Amino acid sequence: LVRTINGQGHETTYAQIVCEKLGVPFENIDVVYGDTDKVQFGMGTYGSRSLVVGGAALSKASDKIILKGRKIAAHLLESSEEDIEFAAGEFKVAGTDRKKAFADIALAAYVPHNYPLEVLEPGLEEQAYYDPINFTYPGGAHVAEVEIDPETGIVSLVNYTAVDDVGTIINPMIVEGQLHGGIVQGIGQALFENCVYDDASGQLLSGSFMDYCMPRADNLPRMMIATHSTPCTHTPMGVKGCGEVGTIGSPAAVANAVVDALAHLGVNHVDMPATANRVWRVMKSASLLQATE
Amino acid sequence: MKTFDYHKPNSVSEAVALMSNEKDSRPIAGGMSLLPTMKQRLAAPEVLIDLSGIVALKGIEAGAGAITVGAMTRHVDVANSPAVANSIPALAQLAGGIGDPAVRNRGTIGGSLANNDPAADYPAAVLALGATVMTNRQEIPAEQFFRGMFETALAPGELITAVRFPLPIAAGYAKMPNAASRFALVGVFVAKFATGVRVAVTGAGPATFAFRCSNPRSRPAFSRPPSTAMASIRRD
Repeated sequence: LVRTINGQGHETTYAQIVCEKLGVPFENIDVVYGDTDKVQFGMGTYGSRSLVVGGAALSKASDKIILKGRKIAAHLLESSEEDIEFAAGEFKVAGTDRKKAFADIALAAYVPHNYPLEVLEPGLEEQAYYDPINFTYPGGAHVAEVEIDPETGIVSLVNYTAVDDVGTIINPMIVEGQLHGGIVQGIGQALFENCVYDDASGQLLSGSFMDYCMPRADNLPRMMIATHSTPCTHTPMGVKGCGEVGTIGSPAAVANAVVDALAHLGVNHVDMPATANRVWRVMKSASLLQATE
Repeated sequence: MKTFDYHKPNSVSEAVALMSNEKDSRPIAGGMSLLPTMKQRLAAPEVLIDLSGIVALKGIEAGAGAITVGAMTRHVDVANSPAVANSIPALAQLAGGIGDPAVRNRGTIGGSLANNDPAADYPAAVLALGATVMTNRQEIPAEQFFRGMFETALAPGELITAVRFPLPIAAGYAKMPNAASRFALVGVFVAKFATGVRVAVTGAGPATFAFRCSNPRSRPAFSRPPSTAMASIRRD
């Protein structure tokens, strides 16, 4: 696979696709990635595309394997290709109990003693390319509840609920992890992370994690995350992008919650990240404005 | 990090002798500030004198009207000390809120005070409680100890041995942490004695500074909302 894996759980999700398609045991599947000596040219993982694009190519390559497997099975079972059915890792002559397991077909392909060599190349190796005809459109609804300390401007995120539609779900736990991570990244943008440069010198002032504030576990509530699946109409498995869904919903939800909490002061905008300092200043100027009116 | 020589003396006199013999030497307590600075090559002492082997510098002693904390007593030990919890619970609470568990398991009160980081927690307690910083040469009242940013009254070759805290009637410490570093953006230690209330602020100046309310009837800082009270605090 040409996607480079950096923590999204591709090893699991991709293996599940192959396991499901070919009916071979999960533990027999090796996912090879990130080594240009071993894998094809690729563009990497970004834009929530690994499953949508890479997973679709994997599904297509698996279909090609099944197609070739049927030819081999037809030869071994002395049947016509049209009569071979493939299900749950077995090639079967339709309407009979004559069958060959996937492993038998693979053995025949690489040790072709009994093989249709005149019409079929040995080996069981396929390659597939996939370019989606359209973007996928994951969507969702995110609800953030914040509390603001009126004396310090410190924003506390006390509740977070999100329901996202990422199409067909291959692995619910991985999807939840992706949503969780994406939401937290967005919360970081909304409340904490800030690149600060010195106006006069251009020097980066937020040069370490002592100054650049990443979201941490104790900044976060226990999140309620759920999914609602509407399969994508144009991807082979009905999957949609997942990695960025959380990141897109959470900054808006959190920033809107902050503004809503200050609405009684006439506040209708707070720059992100809504740090205590910024919120305190916004509250102060809004209060002063109200006092003069 | 540059290379350095390392000594681990067993007594204060041995440590002081090493400090006077070895040029460019630095005593190291928990190393929670010195080691990161050395890793960044902002400091590169040629010799480190590790004070962690000096048993006499460790421990908490509760006496009449005062509690004495050895310089090499770790934050976690102060935080968990029943003696401190009984006499000055605010001090135990302060120690339990310094840095993170890793820092509290290494960092010491003597190291914190000698370093005198403008955002450190301990200096506010020492100043508000009117503690005495005891060294191998003298006893220094808190008001004279904190001189400025990372500057103290300690002379070269002088080591803190313990800190003696008089017991207040009541005390409390609160801080607003920097969101990223979790250091005190501002921290305020308030201590009530029969003679009056003492307030010390950390994080909001080059070093901790005191705000005194000697007259219990004029307490403007406590009758206003904290945000405005903060703004009215001046170095005295």
